[in-house]
Amino acid sequence: MPASLSSFSDQLADAVTRAAGAVVSVHARPRLPSSGVHWRDGVVVTTDGTVRRDQDLSVTLPDGRRIPAQLAGRDPGTDLAVLRIATGELPVATPGDPAGLRPGHLVLAIGRTGDGGPRAAFGAISATGGKWRCWKGGEIDLWIQSDLTIYPGLGGGPLISPDAGVLGINSGGLSRPLATTIPVATVERVLDQILAKGYVARGWLGAAMQPVRISDTTRARAAMTRDGGLVILSVEPDAPAALAGLMVGDVIVAIDGHPVQQSDQVLTLLAGDTVGRTLVVELIRGGKPERVEVLVGERPRTRR
Amino acid sequence: MTGPAFSAGVRGVMDSVVELIIAGTVGSGFVWGPDVVVTSAHVVPQGPVMVRLPNGQERSARVRLADRDRDIALLDVPSLGLPAVRSGDPTALRIGQTLFAVGHPLGVRYAMSSGILHAVGPLPDGYPLPPHARRLTWVQADLRLAPGNSGGPIADARGRVVGVSTMIAAGLALAVPITAVDALLRSRAA
Repeated sequence: MPASLSSFSDQLADAVTRAAGAVVSVHARPRLPSSGVHWRDGVVVTTDGTVRRDQDLSVTLPDGRRIPAQLAGRDPGTDLAVLRIATGELPVATPGDPAGLRPGHLVLAIGRTGDGGPRAAFGAISATGGKWRCWKGGEIDLWIQSDLTIYPGLGGGPLISPDAGVLGINSGGLSRPLATTIPVATVERVLDQILAKGYVARGWLGAAMQPVRISDTTRARAAMTRDGGLVILSVEPDAPAALAGLMVGDVIVAIDGHPVQQSDQVLTLLAGDTVGRTLVVELIRGGKPERVEVLVGERPRTRR
Repeated sequence: MTGPAFSAGVRGVMDSVVELIIAGTVGSGFVWGPDVVVTSAHVVPQGPVMVRLPNGQERSARVRLADRDRDIALLDVPSLGLPAVRSGDPTALRIGQTLFAVGHPLGVRYAMSSGILHAVGPLPDGYPLPPHARRLTWVQADLRLAPGNSGGPIADARGRVVGVSTMIAAGLALAVPITAVDALLRSRAA
């Protein structure tokens, strides 16, 4: 048996060596640097929470050289930030397949905190699941939690499988005590938007709503089966909801064919690529069912 | 038992581990040579120390050498009669390779904990340690230590001891590289 433990040990060390070639140290906050992944040539991804300033950024490469970096954009909703560095400096990360993860799969977290070698932590996947919305508001394509310790400076670095495939970016800020990983698909989606626009656009209706029960009599009168919806409390002037003619008191029961009873369901429907799309909103107005088409706008960007 | 296991390496190391009993607290130590035990300097005060062997027998020991800055000590333990550990080269370790610790965490005798090598070298700014301690070279392991592990060995998959368990910082296990033992012996031999 000792031979097989030694070969397993070698496999883990090999995985760290291979993946660490694309892991940099990110200097974007006082004192302790964080980690980042060279995701595409000249593009480094890290966590938004570890990038505390917009200027005077730099990264330390695996060979110890420290080079300047520019902030390409950030998405606080998914806790991702994107930096640009000179191209051709180091290999890009090799993506793995996080969709195949199940509880019990062994994983490693890698980081780099300056000009030293890589740092690593080891553990197993604790829980997996489908799409979820994190407390920062962004939609994460897969739920990946592991029992490994995200030591100081490891945030922003990759979670990798023992064959060195990158499964995602480890975030110290999304949840505790278990480590949460932002999966490859979310990184790719956010990265495409940030590189194209400098930020991530989110769909917007411009109406405040609150869950409401639909009474049996209303349901019978409107010939509906749904027993709940979202009542519109206010509509912002010139917002997509106003332009579509939505009014205070309307009860929205479905958007784009999906029943809605909680406001986070609306946020989920508006995430992703909905900006500029026309969605059909089903509602009850004055006790009668109505269908209204809404052209989804872009959520105004608030100043950070 | 199927799959890889630490058991072979652990068995070899366990036979060389002792318990230090000092004023009601428990520390760990391991056999370095004939009648010589290595431990952490912070575990042993000045004066006599009791060493408990794996078979439960106790021996009185005396501190021969201690480096309080590097936090290692050598004890003379007459008629110890235990095998010495095999040591490895901490500079040849690879990040990610498996490691294990043996000691008496929270008084649980001869407990092993396992994990991997996190890094070798000083700790980055931001770790909760005084600057002089942060700048020392540490074998940093992603494995669980607790009070009582201090002075015990951290070894590789083959049971070669590469460090002396010393402390925990932000959950990270810190061990003094085993090469510090030879350095201590050399410094006092001159």
